Amino acid sequence: MHMHKFEKIWLIFGISSLLFFLSIVGVSAFYLGNQPPSCLTTIDPEKVDETAPFDKPGLNKVEGKDWDYELVYVAQAFSYNPLEVEIPVGAKVKVIATTKDVIHGFGVAGTNINMMLEPGYVSEYVTTFDKVGEFLIVCNEYCGTGHHFMMSKIKVVE
Amino acid sequence: MSSLPEKKRNIQKEDHSSLKGTLTSVFILGGFILITWLSVYFLFNSRF
Repeated sequence: MHMHKFEKIWLIFGISSLLFFLSIVGVSAFYLGNQPPSCLTTIDPEKVDETAPFDKPGLNKVEGKDWDYELVYVAQAFSYNPLEVEIPVGAKVKVIATTKDVIHGFGVAGTNINMMLEPGYVSEYVTTFDKVGEFLIVCNEYCGTGHHFMMSKIKVVE
Repeated sequence: MSSLPEKKRNIQKEDHSSLKGTLTSVFILGGFILITWLSVYFLFNSRF
């Protein structure tokens, strides 16, 4: 089969880039264990306030787990509970969130915490808060007329 | 395409095989993709 030299060059370049990008994603998923944060455990959206751990929203210290704290958030149209939270710097935290009504977003600006909260599902993300400062949580998934008012604040303190 | 009849060959003779422009365009596009991908990758790694 006759292929032009240039065609060989860009095919090699294109296929190698593809293999490179796919390997990065593959290593991240299968070796490092990274998963999408959303749609893991299921929950009854009508009974969120009575179901653990959402009966105690906020930062909770835990023992015997790979992380030191669990940050439990409940979203609804149009607010987050808790409205504000303080986290000690360096803490390894598992953020656990769900919604009581419609789909909401949970995006902590300036961080990699970014997930969708879907009714009937619990979303989770484990991270270490190693930077001091104030981080704004915004709803980045349109949820209704009050969507742009939904916010919360994480204060990482010494 | 070497089987064109003799009288049409003079009018239609053109060089099909310069792929230099295509190669350049592909590399410019590939470079753009690579650079933007790496930028986002490093930005992601720098955030918690």
